[in-house]
Amino acid sequence: MGTATLLWKHRIFYLFVVPFAALTIVFGLWPIAMSVQVSFTDSFTALRPNPTYIGFANYLTIFADPQFQWSMAITLIYTVLSVAANVSLALLLALVLHNPMVRRGSTLFKLCIFLPVVTPDVAGYIVWKWIYNQNFGALNALLDILGLPAFGGIADSATALWAILLAELWHHVGFYTVIFLTNLQIVDPELEDAARIDGARPWQRIWYVVLPQLRPAIMINTVYALIQFLKTFTVIVVMTRGGPNFATNMVSYYAYLKFDQAQYGEATAMATTLFVAVIGLAYLMYWLNARTDWR
Amino acid sequence: MMRQLERPKPPVVVLAYAFIGVISLLFIYPYLWMFISSFRETEQILTEPLRLLPEALDISAYADLARLGGVSFWTYAVNSLLITGASTALTVMITALGAYALVRKPKLPGFRWLRFGFLLTIMYPYMLLVIPVYLVVFELSLHDTILGNYTGIILFLSLGPIQFFLFEQFFRSIPREIIDAAIVDGAGELQVLTRVVLPVSLPVVLTVTLVTFLLNWSQWFPVLVISRRPDTYTLPVALLNMNSELGTDFQGIMALATITTIPVLVVFLLTQRRVMSGMAAGAVKG
Repeated sequence: MGTATLLWKHRIFYLFVVPFAALTIVFGLWPIAMSVQVSFTDSFTALRPNPTYIGFANYLTIFADPQFQWSMAITLIYTVLSVAANVSLALLLALVLHNPMVRRGSTLFKLCIFLPVVTPDVAGYIVWKWIYNQNFGALNALLDILGLPAFGGIADSATALWAILLAELWHHVGFYTVIFLTNLQIVDPELEDAARIDGARPWQRIWYVVLPQLRPAIMINTVYALIQFLKTFTVIVVMTRGGPNFATNMVSYYAYLKFDQAQYGEATAMATTLFVAVIGLAYLMYWLNARTDWR
Repeated sequence: MMRQLERPKPPVVVLAYAFIGVISLLFIYPYLWMFISSFRETEQILTEPLRLLPEALDISAYADLARLGGVSFWTYAVNSLLITGASTALTVMITALGAYALVRKPKLPGFRWLRFGFLLTIMYPYMLLVIPVYLVVFELSLHDTILGNYTGIILFLSLGPIQFFLFEQFFRSIPREIIDAAIVDGAGELQVLTRVVLPVSLPVVLTVTLVTFLLNWSQWFPVLVISRRPDTYTLPVALLNMNSELGTDFQGIMALATITTIPVLVVFLLTQRRVMSGMAAGAVKG
């Protein structure tokens, strides 16, 4: 059957897919292509009909820019810390919530932990910004009552990264917890019972029996969290604007600043670099997952 | 039976409840603080930041929201409803049809490339995609009219990974035999879709609708970038603008944050099981 005949025969499926394909191209592939193209042009001419192509010059510029190196470094550090914090807290919460001994009220607890996930991020982060405030803030008022030293929050460059990590943890951890809980539902309880009869202590049962069965969820959560935190943006716009003293000037925010200053070439070169990093990591994880037998 | 053999000791149970209870309180506290602060005057908060009940119900902050940035409060509220509602309806239709076609005929020319292109798109740093999207909006001349702004924002919000994966996963679970039987009985593809697939898809359609509504209500960056004037701003964007203003109308910010949050809280609390399992399933697929 010729291609034309094949297409005509299945024309209704092409019809179904047209709006989806149109949006994917117009709001996905086209702007990405445009952005990659702009990254090879001179910023002054980038938006003209005939831009000047300057090869990898923008990439060389950004990699030589100490501010960009700093941004890359804190983005990676922040991503690693956030992935570790979110995945491990989510695992802990899921194990507690799944345990039959807290069955009473577990729905309520789950709701409390998931609520921030669906709360508009702008609203959530604004509230956190004020919780950290030195004059109004609830956090330092509480620390004061407990006789603990004050927390610098987003005002101090030494603590700002931790402050946004905590706010993002509040916003995201419920999502990862629910994924762990979904996985826990298909964990075989008989294996745990067998281990119990064999005299395994609770932590041994978790480590040797439950955790291996949770590897799919650990995998999914890690990949999701990696992609999520590499792209950290909203929390910076709302809470710190990259400060204080560039302490939270992560790559996506720095690229956005460059774009705002009409440095289109450099901005899109940074965006493309981040894109390649995200794809590379996602692919690496996918590859690791495919070559490992999770059962 | 065996599960009963070893009952957890009471101290362990108390400890577990204390742990999860304190964590839950910590997660809820920002909402309480936001809500209470919106009814307290700024000086009162300064003197007693932790007070759990307002001294008096001072609703002046809510009254002051009537006009924001030169635009009526209702403009933002209506925009939020309109943009979220329209983009939700479009997302459901567009991703459902797209995912259905890709699942039914994955080997048709171009379909694998389309799926690959879509996966590529969702990995691009979203906030950096929005800026070139503005250039596209510019090329399509959607930038210079209010109607064009609305169209650009709504269309941009009508594509999402979780939604696509939920539909894809569901359509894959429909047994081929059911569809083949209908075709043998002489049904055309359109009839297969409307009479066989659609009736069993209602639960997943409902789930995707809810999840999309919640996700799109929170969106702010595409709205901010594509809008040329505050006339097309939504509540989160108005809130962000208030946040970046100099001078601190703390009480007003908390009032607007409360208003922005309440609709999603209500929708979520009414439909929590479906939303939580839906978001988890959509992610697991990806």
